Amino acid sequence: MNMIDPRIHQALDGELSPDTLPPELRRVVRQVAAAADLLATPVRSVSVESRVMAEIRRPAPTRAQRVARWIITPHAITFRIRPVWSLAFAAAAAVLTMFAARGGGLELGEYEGIAQFVGRFPDAQSVHVVGSFNDWRAGSIALEDQDHDGVWRATIVLPAGTYEYMFVVDGERWVPDHLAERLVADEFGRENSVVIVRPARR
Amino acid sequence: MDVRAAPSDAEVVARVLGGDAEAFGILIRRYEAGLLRFATRMLGSRDAAADAVAEGFVRAYRHLAGCREPARLRTWLYRIVTNRCKSHLARRSVADVSLDEAPPVADPFDTEATLERGEQMVLVQQALTELSADKREAFVLKHVEGLSYEEMAAVTGERIPTLKMRVHRAREALLKVLEEHA
Repeated sequence: MNMIDPRIHQALDGELSPDTLPPELRRVVRQVAAAADLLATPVRSVSVESRVMAEIRRPAPTRAQRVARWIITPHAITFRIRPVWSLAFAAAAAVLTMFAARGGGLELGEYEGIAQFVGRFPDAQSVHVVGSFNDWRAGSIALEDQDHDGVWRATIVLPAGTYEYMFVVDGERWVPDHLAERLVADEFGRENSVVIVRPARR
Repeated sequence: MDVRAAPSDAEVVARVLGGDAEAFGILIRRYEAGLLRFATRMLGSRDAAADAVAEGFVRAYRHLAGCREPARLRTWLYRIVTNRCKSHLARRSVADVSLDEAPPVADPFDTEATLERGEQMVLVQQALTELSADKREAFVLKHVEGLSYEEMAAVTGERIPTLKMRVHRAREALLKVLEEHA
């Protein structure tokens, strides 16, 4: 670690007058101050006032609209349990899964469909999918590579609609799915993949 | 001649909460320059910074009634925009966001000092980008926005010794990069 003389920090924190420092330390204090001055230069940027005020003037959604939106938005739910209970839950989940499999797989509502995500990441330790369906929250939907062949898969039920998404590899690398139905440019000038989920029952 | 002083933040907040939504524009004009600079230094991109600041203002308006100390609105706004920046950083790796601050194309009327300042700015911004988000946030709040450690604690929710440590580490890392390029 690159430690510097603590008196430099004291001077920069206003606890010590720079004039009391030896010349070589004063030079370092000036160097940091000069860097800060440069960064404090006003940024040439377009005012956000008009877009903020336009958003503010739009009528707020009603309580019913907010509730409806919350209901159709996927949410990650986390809960903590004692290990002994986890065994019981695992057994119950296994039984439920067996029944679900007999019943023909995922249960779909009238306006829901199945989205399948597949990506080949041979060296990945983890792969997640993030997108407009989960508010771009990393970590909530994991893909699995059950046979360790480097092909990661996830199948989820979503309300019918068009969603943008990306893969997050090893928790940090954001990668578009080039096999997606479509790719669109996002506000960062990069490409998001697009999946269209069609309702299973028409 | 109109010699009325500009309304205080608390007065403007009271007007907005009383139904005068247009008065919120006063707060935007009062604070957007500093917030845009802060967000640009955090995100390394003017466009992403404008998004973060705009989202922050909309969020502030929607939750204005929850601002417990309107007299300390500035700190509250920085806190909201800080969180929007973190959200943007979580979505994108800052290292490859943008080269917004790349040196401008040389103008024949630019003086040597202007060009040198432009190059220095690129170097400093690059050095800042190489810091972790926590250290970058601490350095910018302290040295660019001029917040006290108490205000920084209110913005970030961190303890003052933690913030001091981050500022110290940020200075050390920044100096190392600057000296390498000197």
